[in-house]
Amino acid sequence: MSRLFIDVGSTYFKVSQNDSIGQYFRDFNKNIFDDLSGRCGDILSQYTKEDVYICSSANGGLSTLIIGLTNSYSLKYAINIAFNSGINIIDTVLYPKIQRETPPLEMIDVVIIVGGIDGVERVFDERLLRYLEAAHYQNIVYVGSSSDRAFLEQNIENIVILENIISPKLKIQEEALKTYLTDLYQADIVGKEDIKQLYAITANQIFSTPYIVNRALPQVSNILDVADPFIVIDIGGATTDIHYSRDLVEDNIVSQSGYDRLVFKKLGVYKSRESLVHTAKSNEFVFELLEHLNVTENILEEQSEKATRILMQLSIFLVLYKVSKHHAAYIELNLETLNSIVLTGGITKVLSDEEAEEIILFFYKKILRFHRAPTIILDRAYEIWTYGIKE
Amino acid sequence: MKVVIGVVGNDVHVVANRLIDISLEERGFEVFNLGVNTYLEEFMDAVIETDADVLLISSLNGEAEGWCRDLRILKSQYDFKNVTFMIGGNLGVGEMDPQLLVPKFEAYGFDLVFHQIDLNVGLDRLEAFLEARA
Ligand code: B12
Repeated sequence: MSRLFIDVGSTYFKVSQNDSIGQYFRDFNKNIFDDLSGRCGDILSQYTKEDVYICSSANGGLSTLIIGLTNSYSLKYAINIAFNSGINIIDTVLYPKIQRETPPLEMIDVVIIVGGIDGVERVFDERLLRYLEAAHYQNIVYVGSSSDRAFLEQNIENIVILENIISPKLKIQEEALKTYLTDLYQADIVGKEDIKQLYAITANQIFSTPYIVNRALPQVSNILDVADPFIVIDIGGATTDIHYSRDLVEDNIVSQSGYDRLVFKKLGVYKSRESLVHTAKSNEFVFELLEHLNVTENILEEQSEKATRILMQLSIFLVLYKVSKHHAAYIELNLETLNSIVLTGGITKVLSDEEAEEIILFFYKKILRFHRAPTIILDRAYEIWTYGIKE
Repeated sequence: MKVVIGVVGNDVHVVANRLIDISLEERGFEVFNLGVNTYLEEFMDAVIETDADVLLISSLNGEAEGWCRDLRILKSQYDFKNVTFMIGGNLGVGEMDPQLLVPKFEAYGFDLVFHQIDLNVGLDRLEAFLEARA
């Protein structure tokens, strides 16, 4: 019996059956369920609830704030797990500096607290409690040293205690937190009326799209014409995600999944256009790049189709720049050894192959001083997610 | 007692570090081995996460000075209570005078400094140091 896969995005529905994928522009005057039933009612009626699988990025996903004891372990591990679970990180706090930090004003879906291997005592104290009093959050989870559990349970209402994400040998243990976060995502969906209604047509858990994409990566090379190591850049309206093979990083994380995800919240072309433009203007190479593309800086302020294309090219450039060795950010990818770059998301609707190649070649020549660039594949049918959901 | 070990900087000499791991285990220490190519910040963070008693850094390729200069700054950013900071291996480039090297690394904030000194001699000194401190 065949199955039906549906991805609910912020601008499109993608519906996949028998290896063909239909894409439908969303009608924002309707709720998701009505819109989907209106357009795909015939298709939906052919499947039982058990055979319908849905993932969604439409509700923006969960937000998290992470409080950790050190950068190299607690924060690094928790950030890694959160990203791979498809969650957006609002902020991170290095615990020894917590007194100097003010909590974000917005409501956080889940606060993650981590520090110390099991047996390490009194990592957290009153300072944490005072900080949390000023924060707004819905869920809170502790994944640090077992010795501090009692203190936190006594003092923080509704705190969920899970297995430490730092093993006794200082390695990452991701399972418990990852499961918790992906389940929470589902619970969050349940709270959102719009998506809750989709359970009328599926009997399966609805996952977040980035989580599904991440799960698809081990299979991508079987289906698309890519060679390992590769990265997937998903440029959408609000955020830009990059999924990469762990072979491309040298760090102290030894995790089970071979692929990680990194999110750039402020590099979307529509919903975060302003900050994209701001980031672009403060990059030393961007003016040269604009010149190379035969446009002036003024294009960044325009609202034309051409301007959108340029912005998409800029976001590809900025993402590569941010993970290259020229930018000491959270992660540095070994882009020199990369064989393929897969572009997916809204960007594939706008850019031609040549436009994508042009920008990547510019990056490789100008920044990495290479003569050639990796092969570029545009996932135009936006089918990557279907491999992850079929699992 | 917990000891964090590893080789600092962009240093790939792995053999001594393996011996250090084994020797410390034999002497009854609990060892957290960060391996080669480890940055000073990672060492400090590992000490914090494990609440270690000793940080034992080794450096063989001559880069120690460049990588360890900032120890004092990092030490001032956290309360490292009773942690013993120790370094050994080839701390200079070529045949440097230990008379000059040892005070230099002590000034960076190390309690015990061993330039081209046999491992077991160093570990005996560490045990004596810990005993005296206790
Ligand atoms: C094997 C070797 C390599 C191998 C390493 C393979 C590997 N993955 O381990 C390779 C070929 C990769 C290599 C590369 C290089 N090497 Co090399 N290498 C050696 C060599 C021949 C042996 C090292 C070894 O394993 N010895 C066996 C172990 C058990 O001994 P040990 O390392 O000396 O450690 C003992 C003591 O130092 C002490 N000890 C070590 N750490 C500590 C810590 C404490 C707290 C204490 C108390 C004691 C202690 O205890 C150990 C046992 O007694 C030495 C020369 C030599 N004969 O020592 C050069 C040597 C270490 N290398 C050297 C150099 C310069 C390099 C390179 C820069 C060469 C280059 N130009 O490319 C690169 C650096 C690469 C990098 N990024 O780190 C120099 C260092 C010079 C200096 N510091 O003044 C040496 C001394 C050679 C020389 N005489 O010039 N090297």
